[in-house]
Amino acid sequence: MTNLADYLTLLHFTPDEHWQHVLITDQSICQQCRDKPCLTLCPSGVFTWNLHKSEPVLVLYKQCIECGACRLICDNINFSYPCGGCGVNFIEG
Amino acid sequence: MLRHWYECKKPVKISKKPLTNPTEPIKKYDAIVVGAGPAGATAAYFMAKSGLDVLLLERGPYPGAKNCGGASLIAEHTHKLFPNFWDECECERIVTQQAYWLMTEDSILSSSFQSMKLAAAPFNRFTVKRRNLYKWLCDKAMNAGATLLLNHQVDDVIFEDSQAIGVNMAPQLNCRFLADIIVLADGANSLLAEQAGLVPQVSPQDLSLYVKETIALPAQVIEDRFNLPPGYGSIIGLVGYPTAGFNGTGSIHTFKESININVGMPVADFAKSGIKPYELLDRIKKHPLIKPLLAGGVTLEYGSSVIPEGGYHAIPELVHPGLLIVGDAASLVNGTHGFNLSMWSGFFASQAAYQAKISRDFSKKKLSLYQTLLNESFVIQDLKANAKMAGLQQRVPYLFNLYSQLANETAYHMSKVYTMPKRAKRVFIFKKITSIQPLTKIASDVWKVLKVIP
Repeated sequence: MTNLADYLTLLHFTPDEHWQHVLITDQSICQQCRDKPCLTLCPSGVFTWNLHKSEPVLVLYKQCIECGACRLICDNINFSYPCGGCGVNFIEG
Repeated sequence: MLRHWYECKKPVKISKKPLTNPTEPIKKYDAIVVGAGPAGATAAYFMAKSGLDVLLLERGPYPGAKNCGGASLIAEHTHKLFPNFWDECECERIVTQQAYWLMTEDSILSSSFQSMKLAAAPFNRFTVKRRNLYKWLCDKAMNAGATLLLNHQVDDVIFEDSQAIGVNMAPQLNCRFLADIIVLADGANSLLAEQAGLVPQVSPQDLSLYVKETIALPAQVIEDRFNLPPGYGSIIGLVGYPTAGFNGTGSIHTFKESININVGMPVADFAKSGIKPYELLDRIKKHPLIKPLLAGGVTLEYGSSVIPEGGYHAIPELVHPGLLIVGDAASLVNGTHGFNLSMWSGFFASQAAYQAKISRDFSKKKLSLYQTLLNESFVIQDLKANAKMAGLQQRVPYLFNLYSQLANETAYHMSKVYTMPKRAKRVFIFKKITSIQPLTKIASDVWKVLKVIP
């Protein structure tokens, strides 16, 4: 059992309410995609998808910790950084 | 004449309209540094020190807000740039123990070196918290005269016929800044250089994704568990088990009252394996020999970041007209030096910027002094010497995992006392090992490794 939710509660976020910095460009590509590496790769579980229904892949951008790994494994993910002052703030180094 | 005097006395009406359009730059700087990390802040400090008017832009609310993991500072390299830095920068522990642990699921074969020789000035390594280090560097830059703007995100670089002349800030800030030299220190995922078409997109094989967990433990407990004198620390490299069969590494860093566990491997391997990064972290914490080290600890923070590990061949073109790329953005990282290569690249960039400034020539040719200084220094020479390492890890994907298992297996049979003569035991161990990996395969792998060792 992993404790991603516990991990996320420990982090300090300043969410950006006005602008979503991680986007999926084309949902229809995701429906065709068999591997969906974004679902497991993301260290903060930004991408979620309901296996049983043909729902779109959800992007929970407010819990993104800005590593940017997702943009390297999928061209369909449009990643940029949140606005200045927003996003995650690491304290402990 | 009297009339002139009278007109002079008349009050001049000042229009309410601001003199400058907010979209127009208010001031032109000598240099703009994007990113207040070790590379950017070092570059800003040395440029400001040599008299340049420097603007340092950081998108986080404080320096170090967007970075995590590790981290250790190598004393000698830092001392050369910032003499006696240990009196100014808040360091966590002086590292007197360096170890490597070859791990399998239930055993550890360790090689460790511990010496009080490393405990006296000029020291060897320090563990530091990123926030303290970044803040100290930025304070130095500001004291030298640089301007630091926080919460300022750069949208893109402005070019005039391929000459970089400034940066556009994010739309909601509605402003831009101009400068003769732009220094890009925007980290491993350098979107700016890529958007401008200056560098290609980094390959997922050359970029490693690391996750970290900071666990709070009392100082005394850390010192007891890691066998350290008070105030001293250890850095442990973890190989094998932590990355679940892939080539990657983990590490344990001891801080004053907390420890950091890091683990990571190439982004491509994470994608291929379907392993969730935080599960990997969890798996290490549950290892029977790691668990007691962490017992009673409270998790303070989780985090992740990417580190360029492509080595020499992954370094893009670093000098462009009016623009220099430094630090992680320039892929200047190797296993031993992270911060230090960054800081040196920032220093070299500042030298090139200063020379360009005094000759008023910001062409690529003039700025290529940066590349020359890098090439002549240990930075590129070390990276070049290890250039084939990255390739080896891709060619022999089982390298770390299999050989740490073989080493542990050998050590197990060596330490176990059998009811057989020594000679028979040696044959027995040999057969055990070659049953896991045939001798010819071992020989060929050893040859491959020997070939890349500088």
